[in-house]
Amino acid sequence: MRLLIVKFIHFLLSLLGRGGSLPGTIALKMDPNILKKFKMPKKVILVTGTNGKTTTSNLIVESFQKTGLKVIGNRKGDNLKEGIVTLLCTHSSLNYQVQAEAVVLEVDELTVMRVFEDLHVTTFVVNNFFRDQLDRAGEMETIVRRIESVLPNYEGHLILNADDPNVVRLKESAPKAKAHFFGVGENAVSKKTTNEASEGKFCPRCGKPLAYEYYQYSHIGKFSCDCGFGENEVECFVDEIDYEHETFTMNHKTYHSFRNAIYGIYNCVAVLCVMKVNGLDDDAANEVFKTFTMNKGRNETFDLNGNCLLNLVKNPTGANEVMKAIMKSNADKNILIILNDNDQDGKDVSWIWDAHFDLLIDEHTKRILCSGKRAYDMALRLKYEGYEALEVFENVEDAIVRLKELEEDAYVIATYTALESTRNILRRHAS
Amino acid sequence: MKLKVLWMYHDLMDLYGDKGNIQVIKMRCALRGIECVVDTCTLNEEKDIRGYDLLFIGGGADKEQSLLVQDLLSRKQNIKEAMEKGTFVLLICGGYQLFGQYYLDGDGQKIEGLGFFDYYTESATRDVRCIGNIAIEVNVEGKKFKAVGFENHGGQTKNVSSPLGRVLSGHGNSFHDGFEGFYNGQVLGTYMHGPLLPKNPKLADLIIQKALFKNYGDVTLEALDDTLEEKAQQVMLERILK
Repeated sequence: MRLLIVKFIHFLLSLLGRGGSLPGTIALKMDPNILKKFKMPKKVILVTGTNGKTTTSNLIVESFQKTGLKVIGNRKGDNLKEGIVTLLCTHSSLNYQVQAEAVVLEVDELTVMRVFEDLHVTTFVVNNFFRDQLDRAGEMETIVRRIESVLPNYEGHLILNADDPNVVRLKESAPKAKAHFFGVGENAVSKKTTNEASEGKFCPRCGKPLAYEYYQYSHIGKFSCDCGFGENEVECFVDEIDYEHETFTMNHKTYHSFRNAIYGIYNCVAVLCVMKVNGLDDDAANEVFKTFTMNKGRNETFDLNGNCLLNLVKNPTGANEVMKAIMKSNADKNILIILNDNDQDGKDVSWIWDAHFDLLIDEHTKRILCSGKRAYDMALRLKYEGYEALEVFENVEDAIVRLKELEEDAYVIATYTALESTRNILRRHAS
Repeated sequence: MKLKVLWMYHDLMDLYGDKGNIQVIKMRCALRGIECVVDTCTLNEEKDIRGYDLLFIGGGADKEQSLLVQDLLSRKQNIKEAMEKGTFVLLICGGYQLFGQYYLDGDGQKIEGLGFFDYYTESATRDVRCIGNIAIEVNVEGKKFKAVGFENHGGQTKNVSSPLGRVLSGHGNSFHDGFEGFYNGQVLGTYMHGPLLPKNPKLADLIIQKALFKNYGDVTLEALDDTLEEKAQQVMLERILK
């Protein structure tokens, strides 16, 4: 009966053109244990980690679909408990039988602990742990410990990024799980030293400093320790990346590289590992890598009196990768950064000082416009990097009007809560 | 003029963008023609702190903090002599805690501090932290002015004899404490991240002045164009104190 009410609410909301996780919120109010009631299918894939959750889980959904499986997933990134309950309520029969052959969920790092056991997870994927919204999530150690707490009795597949020490560490808490590692070898973007890594300094097992053979981005790379930590067989290993032809080679087979960026390749190889352990044809995944389009606001283009590219940034690592991609272009450009500090952005904007905004500064960057609730904080970040051609607009629309008047290519970087409104303004002003 | 800064544990105590403070000190010196040299010092690295005008330690996670305690304690005499010679010390969060008597962490482990001052820090129960925007009225060297920041600490620092200022909104040294930080003319300790200095140029200049005192005595700093800084601070003050 309760399920029927929730389904009805979802139906009414969908008539109003609204999605979101309100039905799940109501369902949990009526029955806090509702998650225990669902009869889950044989394949339940759960993806977590700081960056790339949405991309990885969406790639898995599409790849599973391509093999002919009936699959459901929280595709829009509703990754808290309420969003997961909403998804299951709307895709189950009245006796709580989930009507799909596979469920693929991206789950917020702090939510994993609250849902893991009830979901009867069969494949658990962990991408990476970066610093992210310290005001909400707390220190890295707290997050990792919480995820470790679900693992002692887990018997399914555990798919881990071999190149992130805090992810590798999870294996030690999961004695019963079938652990599989994925990784990427040295390639054109690998570096011997880095100024980006905030984590990965010490061995999670023995506390001694870790040695890195190379870094890919942030602290992701080939590390080792005298105590033997990290010496795992890497089952899915990318040994070559061809950025020019947008392909990579894993276990002697060539695949199309999604987004043609190092972090995108990590997402791909995680997906390929999921396909492998689930006995599914990876050609399906390769097809998806070729054709998949990103979510809104991830590298989305607009014609704003010339080229305009919109990107979401959430944390230092993601921001660094977005900025590197922008600076690949040698054309003259203006960049608009919209910094908000609402709950979902992180109320603490100090992360902008951990990100390398100095990357944006070269002779082709003609102006940097700052907007959003913390526009002045952003302007100070750049001022103290020595950049002078700054313009501050308290109102986002004014900033976009200004960007449109200017001749150069336009790049817009927005934090989470600024993204949707910025898209709408850009659409209104685009030809 | 020349200002020599030692940034200790730059690779361990670098949470919440505290490195921004160094950038602010550097640029505000450069704009005035003061040569600012920043050296770093990490675990087991030999450095004579007495040769520096400003010592800076930022905040770190519990785990990192426990890794460096032994190293820090082994430098106690050197730090003491540096302070006697006039080195000014800026400490944020974890760095601030470690200059006190002790730090009792979230797992109940007691970490010995340098013990230079009477204050001590005890972690609140796990998952309860002082988090949020904070505004204070700084009251030091006969001057009163407002400062803003972001606090995020589980540690509750008690028995602070001379705070940096009065809390206008937020927690401060401990839950609803009323006072924030520590200041004795030689050492400035605070929980304010943000980072601290970009939006609080008066504090930045105070620190530069105090650090220059060691070699140059009282120095008057040339005024800078702080329009952006003041605007950024004002936006937050209006929001926090509304």
